[in-house]
Amino acid sequence: MPIIDLKNVTYRYFDVEKPALKDLDLEIDEGDFVIITGPSGCGKTTICRCFNGLIPHFYNGELSGKIVVAGLDVKETQTSVLSQHVGFVFQNPENQLFALSVEKDVAFSLENIGLAREEIVERVEWALEMTGIIELREKAPYELSGGQQQRVAIASVLAMKPEVVVLDEPTSFLDPLSAKRIFEVISSLNKDLGITVVLVEHRLDLASEYANEAVVMDEGKVSFVGTPRDVFNDRDVWALGVGIPKVTRLGHYLKERGIDLGGVALTPSEAADLIRGYMNR
Amino acid sequence: MKSLDGLRFRKRKTPIHRLDPRVKFLLICAIFALSIIFVDLMSITIIFLALVPLVLLAQVQGEWLRSLRASALLAAFIFVLNLIFVSDLYYALAMAFRFLVIVSSFSIFFLTTSPDDLGLALEQSHFPYEFSFAFTTAIRFVPELAKEAQIIVDAQRSRGLELEGGNILKRIRNYIPILIPLIVSAIRRSMELAEAMESRCFGAVKMRTSLHALKIRSMDYLVILMIVLVLAGSIYIRFYIHLL
Repeated sequence: MPIIDLKNVTYRYFDVEKPALKDLDLEIDEGDFVIITGPSGCGKTTICRCFNGLIPHFYNGELSGKIVVAGLDVKETQTSVLSQHVGFVFQNPENQLFALSVEKDVAFSLENIGLAREEIVERVEWALEMTGIIELREKAPYELSGGQQQRVAIASVLAMKPEVVVLDEPTSFLDPLSAKRIFEVISSLNKDLGITVVLVEHRLDLASEYANEAVVMDEGKVSFVGTPRDVFNDRDVWALGVGIPKVTRLGHYLKERGIDLGGVALTPSEAADLIRGYMNR
Repeated sequence: MKSLDGLRFRKRKTPIHRLDPRVKFLLICAIFALSIIFVDLMSITIIFLALVPLVLLAQVQGEWLRSLRASALLAAFIFVLNLIFVSDLYYALAMAFRFLVIVSSFSIFFLTTSPDDLGLALEQSHFPYEFSFAFTTAIRFVPELAKEAQIIVDAQRSRGLELEGGNILKRIRNYIPILIPLIVSAIRRSMELAEAMESRCFGAVKMRTSLHALKIRSMDYLVILMIVLVLAGSIYIRFYIHLL
């Protein structure tokens, strides 16, 4: 049974004529690492808001269809309950940290659901360790870099021990190196803890290698689903204006000019191997 | 921002910093009360001098002096007014000193109490959590808003906005192109914050728990005892034996 299951979902924001999601179907299996991408305004963020109940409980608007996440009917379940199963990391790191120290921030949601102090202490410790920020525990948010802030945000949702973590463009405020480190942390949540990851991202160059599924959205619908390799090699996807990895584009470019490397790469290291192989042939 | 530096907390490990915020607040109220009970110059000078070891113990002398300098003008004003209307030099001096005592005690309190602890103190004194959350969040976002204001100032200036020059009215009007974007972005920020709070289970249960708890230690009890003794003694001296 899929852990996220959307059927015939249509959603219109309050006071907006055009629906943001149109009759959308999407299934995500437990333990998957899924990248959602697509041109701006395609409904990526809207779909994320459906996963933890911000839609329909926080945003007014018209929602129809069925959304089931972690076995819970999103329409019937409050965001505060859903959030214990689905962690949400937002784009802007500084607007999702509330406390004046890192450890208080990581404890924030645990305090909100009224866990016992010993349990909070234990989980905070664990989440700080998993995200590699134990030495930052007493720092204030404004003393941290953007990458560190985003790691605190990840630790904060991790402390809830969720089954799913949704990240809405978590690296768009970060430089490439910090972004890569964030992807590594996210990937370890998926690999080591078995958490289902849904990552909305434009930076496919960096993120593709970690995912086992790619979803391309356009005009409020899911247009393509498949492995990142299949999806990003599909020329119809290119036409949508998605940030196809540069090495994939390079592979196609060379092929069109009669240089067949014997495959198309998804990551720079793969591309290097292919080119090396070709040169030695 | 500079003028508020005299009130800005910095992490340090001194006996004063470690004092329970509630006890510290009691201490500040006691000093406040003492400076009201006594009206003569000598007593108020003694109270003022008694603050000095406190300041040194807390290692905040620099910030304290800055807060004194900032309030010097107002103190002088109080002195002159009292001199004119009461025409008693000692009394006027005492009033100016009283003001400085009050400023100092508040300055010591805010300089040595982390906003987090203050929020925790509010929470544990059974104030609704929304209050202490609003308080700590406000403090949390001061540096962010300051940064943003600077960005807006730079942006508007690079488009030719002049902030200096003109009379007072003109100068105030100059700041409108700064204020409007700042307010708009603060509203937008608050929307994002609300969304994030919702996603982090804000207000999920009535009885919220907390990572840290304030605990009254033996040192705190000692300070409470001292406060009670000094206050009682002072009231006795002032009102029953009419020594002063």
